[in-house]
Amino acid sequence: MRTCCPALIAILCIHVNAQELSLPDSIRTEDLREVRISADRTYGADALSTEQVSDAGLMNATGALQVSDAVKYFSGITVKDYGGIGGLKTVSVRGLGASHTAVALDGVMITDSQTGQIDLGRFSAGRTGSVRLVSGPDNDMLQSAAMAAQAATVNISLHKPELDGQRMKSRAQLKAGSFHTVSAQAQTDFLVCGSSAVSTNVEWLQTGGDYPYIQNNGSSSGIMKRKNSDVRRLSADAALFSGIGQSDLNVRACWYQSEQGLPANILYNENAASERLWNRDAFIQATLRSALGSRLTLQTVAKYGMSRTRYLDRDVNNSSGSTDNRYLERECHVSAVLLYRIAGRLSASAAVDGRRSELQGVSSRYILNSSAALKYASESLVLTARLNHIATREHALDGLPAAPLSHLSPVFAANWTVWPAAGLHVRASYQNTLRLPTFNDLYFEQVGRRDLRPERAQVASAGLAVEHAFRHLSLSMHADAYDSRVRDRILAVPGSNTAVWMMKNVGLVTTHGFETGLELACSGPVRYGTMMSYTYQRAMDKSREGGTTWNHQMPYTPRHSAAGTAFLETRPLCAGVNVIYSGKYFCNAYNGPEYAMPSYYELGFSLWRDLKLESATVRLKAECMNLTDSRYEVVRNYPMPGRQIRLTASVDL
Amino acid sequence: MRKYGIIPLLILLSGCDPEPVLLPDPAPVQESGHSGMLILCEGLFNQNNSTMSWFDFSTGRPESWSRNGATSYDCFEKANGRRLGDTACGMILYGSRLYIAVSESGTVEIVDPADCRSLTQISMPGAQPRALAAYGGSVYVCCFDGTVARIDTLEMKVTGTASVGRNPDGICAAGGKLYVSNSGGLDFSRPDSTVSVISLDTFTETARIAVHPNPGRICTDGTGVYVISRGLFDYSSNSYDSRLQRIDTGTDRIVETYDFPVLNMDIDGGRAWLYGYGDGRIRVLETATGLILDDCFIKDGTQVECPYGIKADAASGKVYICDAADYVTPGSVLCFNADGRLEYRLQGIGINPNSIVFHDGGVSAQERRGSTQEGLADRVFEYRPAPGQFVNTMPLFEEGDNDSTMAAKCLAALNGNGMVTLGGYGGYITIGLGHAIANREGFDFEIDGNALKGSAEPAVVWVSADVNGNALPDDCWYQIAGSEYARSAQDCSISYFRPQSDDASVPWATADSSGMIPHNSFHAQAYYPKWYDSESVTFTGTLLPCNMALENGSWVMQAYEWGYADNLPNGSDGSRFDIDWAVRDDGTAAGLDSINFIRIQSAVIGSNAVTGEISAELTRILELE
Repeated sequence: MRTCCPALIAILCIHVNAQELSLPDSIRTEDLREVRISADRTYGADALSTEQVSDAGLMNATGALQVSDAVKYFSGITVKDYGGIGGLKTVSVRGLGASHTAVALDGVMITDSQTGQIDLGRFSAGRTGSVRLVSGPDNDMLQSAAMAAQAATVNISLHKPELDGQRMKSRAQLKAGSFHTVSAQAQTDFLVCGSSAVSTNVEWLQTGGDYPYIQNNGSSSGIMKRKNSDVRRLSADAALFSGIGQSDLNVRACWYQSEQGLPANILYNENAASERLWNRDAFIQATLRSALGSRLTLQTVAKYGMSRTRYLDRDVNNSSGSTDNRYLERECHVSAVLLYRIAGRLSASAAVDGRRSELQGVSSRYILNSSAALKYASESLVLTARLNHIATREHALDGLPAAPLSHLSPVFAANWTVWPAAGLHVRASYQNTLRLPTFNDLYFEQVGRRDLRPERAQVASAGLAVEHAFRHLSLSMHADAYDSRVRDRILAVPGSNTAVWMMKNVGLVTTHGFETGLELACSGPVRYGTMMSYTYQRAMDKSREGGTTWNHQMPYTPRHSAAGTAFLETRPLCAGVNVIYSGKYFCNAYNGPEYAMPSYYELGFSLWRDLKLESATVRLKAECMNLTDSRYEVVRNYPMPGRQIRLTASVDL
Repeated sequence: MRKYGIIPLLILLSGCDPEPVLLPDPAPVQESGHSGMLILCEGLFNQNNSTMSWFDFSTGRPESWSRNGATSYDCFEKANGRRLGDTACGMILYGSRLYIAVSESGTVEIVDPADCRSLTQISMPGAQPRALAAYGGSVYVCCFDGTVARIDTLEMKVTGTASVGRNPDGICAAGGKLYVSNSGGLDFSRPDSTVSVISLDTFTETARIAVHPNPGRICTDGTGVYVISRGLFDYSSNSYDSRLQRIDTGTDRIVETYDFPVLNMDIDGGRAWLYGYGDGRIRVLETATGLILDDCFIKDGTQVECPYGIKADAASGKVYICDAADYVTPGSVLCFNADGRLEYRLQGIGINPNSIVFHDGGVSAQERRGSTQEGLADRVFEYRPAPGQFVNTMPLFEEGDNDSTMAAKCLAALNGNGMVTLGGYGGYITIGLGHAIANREGFDFEIDGNALKGSAEPAVVWVSADVNGNALPDDCWYQIAGSEYARSAQDCSISYFRPQSDDASVPWATADSSGMIPHNSFHAQAYYPKWYDSESVTFTGTLLPCNMALENGSWVMQAYEWGYADNLPNGSDGSRFDIDWAVRDDGTAAGLDSINFIRIQSAVIGSNAVTGEISAELTRILELE
């Protein structure tokens, strides 16, 4: 923060000072419309690329406990799940690999410069208003430069107060489930001085995670219990929403603290698991959106965060008998986006985004993302062209740092309303993105290589989307095909001395994919909703022609996968059902039978009832996850839990 | 870059995307000098996929079998019905037994190399056993927990441990001492740099020899000791400064240090074959003098992609290199002749092959087949298994098979290296013996199966003598009255019904109960015998009480005391039978002088979702002298 920002702040100041401070309503309405779309519709038919949203209602129907549970029902994705509540959960979009998917909280990107992996299991569904996945260029012209440079984005919108004229609203929720799982949440929203509202939330979750699994080793098979899979987690946050003159201010401070075991691979005959992980994360972020005159909107964001991690393994045969690593990562981030409406149909935006990430004792990195976009939007046609630039500079505490980087990448997208009456749209996009090597890739003892280049991804996509409403019934569907390729993949490979593995830029992956989704919603006295998705992915290794893995399917990428959820809400009782299916896949780059992973499915069912009392609404809910007790592993040797029951009681005051 | 205008079309055509091509099966090769070789493949770390292959020189092929519909070369799993585990990193042959160290699973397997059956699994959780050496009736295994364990080869048990340095990764015995290389490899940048000397008399550490950092592989020619150290990591060259050092076992001092990149070696017949990295060369060194005899053993320019193991055979002058390829695809074994020319390449044998052991002790599988056929199992008259999870795979049913072809396959399995399942309760096999077994004092014959402690699947044994001399089993049958005879139900019938589909469970019914042979995800084939014509099949036999129980979360099948097949481990008294135990229907002693036929019949009803139904498996019948 101290060193990186003066230039940026100067730029922001110039923009702010140069604009008139008047706020016509037209821009505000357009801005608000973006929010409303997310809340009401799953697929934006007028979106430039596949856009999928799971809101609170849908998350309730899918029985989502974590954000990762909600993402599973989207098309075009692969979720890698190490099992249980504490197991790492990452999402890869369109065969690009998980590190090409950016995760944002209220539009502000979350980064983990050390590993590059954001665990979607960390975010509680109870505090989440909606989750939105955009698998390509975003329609939103107010997107930050860093987000606009990503191949795919998952935006988690945390709960926003909807006070409806009341002074205060509160919610308390208790959950209890199988394998010693308990969670409690208390949330209060209240009005402060007229136009401002504050929302506070505290949540506690704990699980034993000691679920049974089957160890299959022929005559030595047996039922075992998952060990060291317990989690204790406290999260708290407070947010301020304020309208100051012509501006909207949103400030949020979050605290996250956890202690958990890291469940180990199932090994034959060896059932020890001793790795522990502690996290203490805190961050504060502020977003200010201001209308500056009739043509200009400025959005500025500032964020400061720190994350402490401790990894402890007390069962290592080294000299100290344990491995005890502590990491402190700090991040500060400022960004500004200026949207300018040139003429009725034409608008332009410019964005800059500066970020400093530091892994204490290892290295620090400055990233400056800039982006300029032009958008033409008529009744029937939306065209966008965007140019992203990234510049980085690194400092390493020990030895040479990674070389500075400067890279330009273009994005093009179009959406054409072919048949307005039927709500039929055709769309196409092309995008060129990259992902930076992580600190581990660059600096990790012996394995890291400082001369790594970023991974480069290209995605071209085309498809159609339909959105239609008849009376109470609304229907939306999309079908998109895409072709993606990732070059210079960063992988650990044996070095010239075969005893040493190191990170290298190797390989090319080409993916041909198809994704489709359907959503139906029926409002009225009996509410009904369903969402279904199907994904085809042929992700081929094209690294070395004639090599043994040439044309082999990428690991952990099923060719076919599907998911569906449906709910029915009636006066006395509501019910939800959900299913996920994954076709067979391979857990390694070589598609030999040794690495084949069988297909699996999981079925869930929930029942709930809302009781309206005088001043409160009480919801009682019973859920059964994995109803059929399907035994499967997503990641080889990390078994998933079988049948689970969960009971929830919540009170809204 | 491809034009993206054709994307939609491309996607429609993505059905035309090329499909992955797998490695071809190894082509047969010519090899002699030994019966064959056992190849240990480490697998991938934390994938539980260590394997062991048997390359039979008489057939020129590795032994293969069908595992879930795919070809497998893992003869350990085939013989034992379970896998080796994770990261099997060391294997030696000592006496008539094979010792395998499985690091991450924390086990040492003692295996009969003739048939790959595990005689004992020694469990040492958390110890990470790495490498083995043998001396004076004991096998020594060094473990990453800083210890060396002594295994008594007769008792097949750990009888003592000695402390050494950090993370010992190599061991050899020379001059009445053990030399153990302390790698300290788990401290990464701070490796150990000593070799521990253990006196074999007292089995305690007596000295430490300072060597180059991070010592690993250590070998002896019987008098001198050679140790390879990986050295320290150099960030500028991204490699280690490895060294080979020679230790004088008289003085326990370093007498020579060689300055070339070296990773691994094997010593045989007074020569060491060494390979390094970077230059891909194999050097030959005379161990007595320490002179390099040949700086570049490979003469025909053959490139080894990723050498991962080496085995020299001084008798033939051949050198075998394990090639791990890219560590992910199954690796190969390359055989070079004495002139350094590639003789053959055994491709796709297993993932990360690291050790080779020649086997001469017994006869090859083919010869063994011939010799035992003259011996005990001479004919299989009837093979009538009840439905079960191994039915149609042990032996394998192929389209067109019938009762007699299946019986022939059973005979081949019993005389070869295979296994025969009898399926659930009632399933049986009737075997004619090559010659009569006389009723002598004590045990007369042994029936081997796949029973392990806690995994007994008892079958009742019946015997018959060819009284009418027609060589057919149409004479009176007598039951071997085992320990549970008084608790068993005689003449208990059971019927099984063919299910609608191959992947469905098989219903059964007795006079007073009914249930299912559950279809599980591990065995995908049909469980009802495919060559049976009728839609249901009925068996009558002796029903023993169920021996299956859930103990501490694991399904355990306790063995009965004596007198049943596939009940107690092979070779133990529990797998042996005395003809005196045969009784008539009324329970009185049969008083047989000899027998010509044996019938073995599954005798327990029991199943669970994990280990499936209780179904006896048989591997061979032996006459006891």
